Amino acid sequence: MTFRANFLLECLTSLGWMSMNLAFYLLIFNFTPEIGRGSGWSREPFFAFVATGLVINAIVQTLFMPSASELTEMVRTGGLDSVLVRPLDAQFLLSMHRFDFSSMANGLVGVGLLVWAVLRFPVAPPLIAFLLYPLLIACGVAILYGLIIMLAAATILMGRNQSLYDFWFYITNFSRYPAEIYSGPWGDPLRTFCTFVIPILLVVNVPAGTLARPLSGESWGMVVMTFAAACLSVGLSRLFFQAALARYRSASS
Amino acid sequence: MYDNSETKSARVIEVNGLAKEYRVYDKPEGLWASVRGLFQRKNRIIHALRGVDLSVGRGEFLAMLGPNGAGKTTFLKLLSGIITPTQGTARVLGHVPWDRADEFRRRFALVMGQKNQLWWDLPAAESFRLHQEIYRIDPVRFARIRDELVDMLGVARLLGQPVRELSLGERMKLELIAALLHEPEVLFLDEPTIGLDVVAQHTIHEFLRHIQKQRSVTVVLTTHYMKDVAALCERVVVVTGGTILYDGSLEQIVDQFTSHKVVTLDLESPPAAGQIERFGFSCEVNGPRVSLRIDRSRIADALPKLLASQQVRDVSVEDVPLEEIVANLFRGVANRQADVEAKQEVEAV
Amino acid sequence: MSEAVNPEVLQSSCGWFPAVRSWWRMLTICLEERLAYRSDFALGTLMRFLPIVTQVFLWTAVFAASSRADIAGYSRDNIVAYYLLTMVTRAFSSMPSLAGGISRCIRDGSVKKYLIQPVDYIGFLLASRVAHKLVYYIVAIIPFAAVLFFCRAYFPPAPDGLTIAAYVLSLLLSFLLGFFLEATLGMIAFWFLEVSSIIFAYMLFQYLLSGHMFPIDMLADIPTGISGVSLADVVRLLPFEYTAYFPAAVWLGKITGWELVRGLLLEIVWLVIAIGTCRFVWWRGTKRYSGFGG
Repeated sequence: MTFRANFLLECLTSLGWMSMNLAFYLLIFNFTPEIGRGSGWSREPFFAFVATGLVINAIVQTLFMPSASELTEMVRTGGLDSVLVRPLDAQFLLSMHRFDFSSMANGLVGVGLLVWAVLRFPVAPPLIAFLLYPLLIACGVAILYGLIIMLAAATILMGRNQSLYDFWFYITNFSRYPAEIYSGPWGDPLRTFCTFVIPILLVVNVPAGTLARPLSGESWGMVVMTFAAACLSVGLSRLFFQAALARYRSASS
Repeated sequence: MYDNSETKSARVIEVNGLAKEYRVYDKPEGLWASVRGLFQRKNRIIHALRGVDLSVGRGEFLAMLGPNGAGKTTFLKLLSGIITPTQGTARVLGHVPWDRADEFRRRFALVMGQKNQLWWDLPAAESFRLHQEIYRIDPVRFARIRDELVDMLGVARLLGQPVRELSLGERMKLELIAALLHEPEVLFLDEPTIGLDVVAQHTIHEFLRHIQKQRSVTVVLTTHYMKDVAALCERVVVVTGGTILYDGSLEQIVDQFTSHKVVTLDLESPPAAGQIERFGFSCEVNGPRVSLRIDRSRIADALPKLLASQQVRDVSVEDVPLEEIVANLFRGVANRQADVEAKQEVEAV
Repeated sequence: MSEAVNPEVLQSSCGWFPAVRSWWRMLTICLEERLAYRSDFALGTLMRFLPIVTQVFLWTAVFAASSRADIAGYSRDNIVAYYLLTMVTRAFSSMPSLAGGISRCIRDGSVKKYLIQPVDYIGFLLASRVAHKLVYYIVAIIPFAAVLFFCRAYFPPAPDGLTIAAYVLSLLLSFLLGFFLEATLGMIAFWFLEVSSIIFAYMLFQYLLSGHMFPIDMLADIPTGISGVSLADVVRLLPFEYTAYFPAAVWLGKITGWELVRGLLLEIVWLVIAIGTCRFVWWRGTKRYSGFGG
């Protein structure tokens, strides 16, 4: 199959998946004015949230996931050895040597969706929100990047064939919806864990919240925390990755 | 961190007590064992390398000879910094390899037989260009060296083809070129001639010999082919079961490990039964050709008697073939090793 | 998922007893394979419930914000029970890598051996699927039971014996239906080179229309062009609902009486159609294939 046709096909399939989810969300809003009582996530803000998620995930899927998921194969075939003898930072090489631009399709739709949603906000967000938004998206990407690298490091250590995509799906599953849905005796601890320990709830919530909901003292706190989490995520993941390389066993001769 | 004085000294590679262990889990056989395997797993320790000492000077060409699983590749991986040891120290060009300092990685090269380091889908020329970027080679110098090496191996017409379309021999030549582009001071070769036809092997031998002399590169080559060793180097290190059995010149192996020589007699006619055997040496009779193994100290004595007793057309006195000596060495150590390992398995849970 | 035992073995000696014995061996090998992955054993099965956790939280938030006690007849607790029950249905009807495996087999030519030998490929696949499913149940029964027990508060009281019988019947039928639908899908490879996109499109539709994402009843308010016919009615005519929605709805008592009987009958009709289509496609496909020779 030609390269271009294949590319188009992959764009279409990811768009198909996404439209299904969008249809589902539209269906939900038939039954309720907002998600989570008093949370502020009514239809347009919620779609702004979804759009933010699409953009962030598109960036990560395009830039980092293809290289990271190839890592398992490289560990298995011993291709990692060749990388380790080169005078180049292994992490850099391993996280950036392959891209998948078909994932950008979702990102573009996300941008469109965001514009549509924001235009329908009852109150326009303040300028500062628009300035913070791209920065917070970058932070979200950084947090996810750190998680990918830590998963990749775990793969090197365990030397298993488990596809990175599986783990990734389960971990990021919790960040698909606004953090406010996690409440109650089970929800609150989960929310705390996913905000402070593995901060996936910061990734989409904070940029989307900055834009879609009125800024308050608390939201500034979240912004600062997201910046901190981004730095920590990248830094810790590097340490973890270096430690994994130090323990590298290498395929048998 | 590296020690400046080392670069000027003659010792390029210094290894002391280097050891590497792996823990391996046994896969359970059968259904019941699989269920038990959920709760308890049998594991054992593999000693890939057991306290190895080695010292290599600048410009030396060293061959590591050993059967599969001897630990040669593990040794090279340790010296290249790919893995870290369980015990012991090593310094290559003054650096500790597993620190993986960029400075260090720019000064050596590793070529692994049958494992590709060139980009599979791209033509070799692209890989070379990428190599230049990664190793920061001065472009003028790069062009000169590349052309020189390509010329030497006669692969100019292959540079534009994607690497995956080339034969194993052609790929190996290109891998070697790629490895030498940044003019490394140390070259590690892991079974470079494995799977190659005789002509390709010969070409590569010639090439390596020439390069090594010309640039006084320190070369460590691992192989299980005697041919590589005989063609290329004077110093041989025999490795089996993770230890160095012998370190010295090729000729001395013969002296050290065997006490007898092989005497071959071409007789006019096949000997009568028992005629040769009565001398008391172990012998093999194939028609008119007789081959005996005689202790060196007794050859001077026995040979005239043998020649006198038969009608001899031709006689030759040779060393025991190197392959045989080495194979015996391997087998002997392997047997001893297996006993030790069996004992260890019982002890481990 | 590999067919670890060669079909020749099933056919090598005549009579059904050797076939059963090789089927048994296939079963044990499959079980060993599963047990080899120690950490996958419990963790993997439990991980499959994670997406449901998110869905449950989502619906709870939906109910909290709306002023309704139920949506399309489902209370919040009902929805939790519904998702768990669709997991059970999916354990019967999902056929991982069946379509993909068949299409690969056709594309790389290994299907030839089934054409030459007197082996029924579809029968063999069905037998091996049964083995795989049994192994899966053995491995997954404890995590499943644990989760269901843990969540028992969300379930309404158990239905009567007749409904339970209907439920079990619908589960078994959903296994067969899922199998024949996906087997037919895989055989498209006889005609088309690029099958993976078609398979993906099928998976997409199935996910949406089977009730996997949400109970189909929720589409009841959405009109189609025709008066008196809602979107839910149209979707419920398709076979997809049986792979997730139908058994779950039966257990929860959303489908009763004549509607239940009609639903089961329709399931059987769809099954017959699927088997027929599968056979037909196989026949036409192999004819076309052997026409190419070599």
